[in-house]
Amino acid sequence: MDLAAIERIIALIGALVVGGAALWSLRLEWPKSGLDDHVTKVMLALLALGCFIVILVATRVLQGIA
Amino acid sequence: MAVHALAMDDEQYSEQRDHRLLGFLLFLISDCIIFSSFIFTYLYLRSAAPVWPPPGVKPADLYMAGVNSIVLFGSGATMHFAMESFKHAKFLRFYWWLVATIVLGSMFLGGQAIEYTNLIHESTLWAGSIYGASFFTLTGLHGFHVLIGVCFLVVVLNQTLSGTYSRARYFGLTAASLYWHFVDVIWVALFSLLYVWR
Repeated sequence: MDLAAIERIIALIGALVVGGAALWSLRLEWPKSGLDDHVTKVMLALLALGCFIVILVATRVLQGIA
Repeated sequence: MAVHALAMDDEQYSEQRDHRLLGFLLFLISDCIIFSSFIFTYLYLRSAAPVWPPPGVKPADLYMAGVNSIVLFGSGATMHFAMESFKHAKFLRFYWWLVATIVLGSMFLGGQAIEYTNLIHESTLWAGSIYGASFFTLTGLHGFHVLIGVCFLVVVLNQTLSGTYSRARYFGLTAASLYWHFVDVIWVALFSLLYVWR
């Protein structure tokens, strides 16, 4: 197995774990109404988006699009 | 400042906390404008180039950047867990999550140093091409923010250990958490623009 394949597997597993944690945290954060809570919700949603992009990269759906 | 804060009653503190939070959010927005200006400069330079990356320039490794991104995104999750642990008075957990965040942030910086070394060995230099200049400027600016963030977290950890914060008064922790999330979110944009979109 070459280095790129190992990196892809690590990225995929990591993205699934972190993305799942971000979505779970977003679900728990959802009922809160403070200003910092709202900002945190946006940040967690974007964090989950980042993980989704890494999943697409690791599964080669996105691989240096032009 | 901490002594002054302790002298206030909770209502006064809450009001002042709101003002400080708003001020901190304005700071984050101003930082966002700095990044936006660099990103739009990158987009302009990129659109002006006939081929991207320019011929003879080896772009950064996408998969290594993917792993590094997950390290940084993971630190965002651990920072959130640290904050939640503090709010629920689970202080031991808070310390572990905060230390994990600091370690992951440092790992990201280490990964970026390895990436820079690889690129320099492959002759992709800051002064070598417009690709190198824009890549190193954007990732360097972000890396600098991560470095500041790690220092911020170390200071916050030290303050927490010395009893500066309580369950009712922890604005410094909120600010550190928001800053760290901001650094994470900026990386989502940079990763997409610099590595995925080629």
